[in-house]
Amino acid sequence: MRRSPILAALAIFAVPGLAFAQAPAAAPSGGWVGPFAVLVAGFAMAFAAGLCALGQGKAVASAVDAMARQPGAAARIQTAMIIGLALIESLAIYVLVVAMILLFVQPIK
Amino acid sequence: MNVIEHPPIFRLPGIPDHVTYTWVAMAILAITAFIASRHVELVPRGMQNFFEVMLEQFQQMIDDVIGPEGRRFLPLIATLGLFILVGNLMSLVPGVYGPTTNLNTTAACALVVFFSYHYIGIRKQGAVTYLAHFMGPVPLALKPLMFVIEIISHLARPLSLTLRLFGNMFGGHILLAIIFFLMGLDGLLGWALSGNPLGAVVGGIGGLVMIVFTVGFLYPLKILVSFLQAFIFVMLTMLYISGAIEEAEHHGGEHHPAHH
Repeated sequence: MRRSPILAALAIFAVPGLAFAQAPAAAPSGGWVGPFAVLVAGFAMAFAAGLCALGQGKAVASAVDAMARQPGAAARIQTAMIIGLALIESLAIYVLVVAMILLFVQPIK
Repeated sequence: MNVIEHPPIFRLPGIPDHVTYTWVAMAILAITAFIASRHVELVPRGMQNFFEVMLEQFQQMIDDVIGPEGRRFLPLIATLGLFILVGNLMSLVPGVYGPTTNLNTTAACALVVFFSYHYIGIRKQGAVTYLAHFMGPVPLALKPLMFVIEIISHLARPLSLTLRLFGNMFGGHILLAIIFFLMGLDGLLGWALSGNPLGAVVGGIGGLVMIVFTVGFLYPLKILVSFLQAFIFVMLTMLYISGAIEEAEHHGGEHHPAHH
C-alpha cells in the first residue's frame, strides 16, 4: 500500500511507451507517424545543435585568436564574428523550425 | 502549442494576438518617442538623452557598414531595430505575447527589408544595371547559371531573416514554457508522493532549482538573445543595403577604368 504512489508514478512514465506500442491497433489512421515525428525532432535537434556548436566553436576560436593578435581591430572582428555566428546559427534554427513543425503543426498524420 | 503555453492575459476578440501586441509595441515606441521629443533641448536630459544615445549607436553602425551615404536610411533601419528590440523584450514579460515570436511579424519585417534594399539598389543604379550585376564577374557562358543562383540566394535572404528571428525568439519561448511545465510536473510528483515527507523535500528542492535556473540563467540569456537578434537583423539589413548600393562601384571600376 505504501509503494503504490511510486508504482503509479512509474506507470505514468511507462504509459507513453505502451501508448506508442499500441497506437496502430488503437488509432487506425496511420498512427505510427506521430511517434516517429517526435523521435526525429529530438534527434534532428541533437545533431544540429552538436554540429552547430562545432562550427561556432571554430569561428569563435579563430576570432578570439585574431583579437588577441590585433587588439586594435577587436571591434571590427567582433562584428564580423557575430554576423558569421548568426549565419551559422541560422542553419540550426532551420532544423529547430522543422522540429517545431513536426511537433506542433504535424502536417503528416 | 496551447498544451504547454498559456495564451496571453489581455486579448482582443477577433484579432490575432500578434497584431494586438504589435499595436502595444507601436504604442510603447510612439509614447516614448513623444516624451523624448516633447521638449527638445540643446543639452539633452532624460528620455531625449536616452534616444539620442541609441540613435547615435545606429548612426555609428551605419557609418561603419554602409558609409556616410547610408545615413539616409537611418529611419528605416532604426525603426526596424527598435521595433524588433521592443518586440523581443516584450516576450520576456509573463502574460504578454511577444510580437516577434510569431512568424507573421518577422516575415513582415524581412519582406520590408527585401523590397526596400532592391528598391534602393534599383533607384541608385537603374533596373538594367542592377539586374546585370546579378550575373557577377564570370565568363559569358556561366552568366545564366550565375543569374539563377544569385536569384535563389536573394530569395533565401528574407527566408533566413524571418526564420532566424522567429526561431530564436520562439525557441527561447518554448524553452521557458518547457522549464515551467517541468516545474509544474515536479510539483505534481511531489504532491503525488506526499504520503512521505521525502516527496515534499524533493518537490520543494526541484521547484527551487527550476526557479533559480530560470531567473538566474534563462532570463539573462533571453535578454542577451533579444538584443543580439535585433542587432543581427539590423546589421544584415545594412549589409544588404550596402551590397545593393556598392556593387555598381566595383563593377564600374572593372569595366570602365578609363573614367577613373
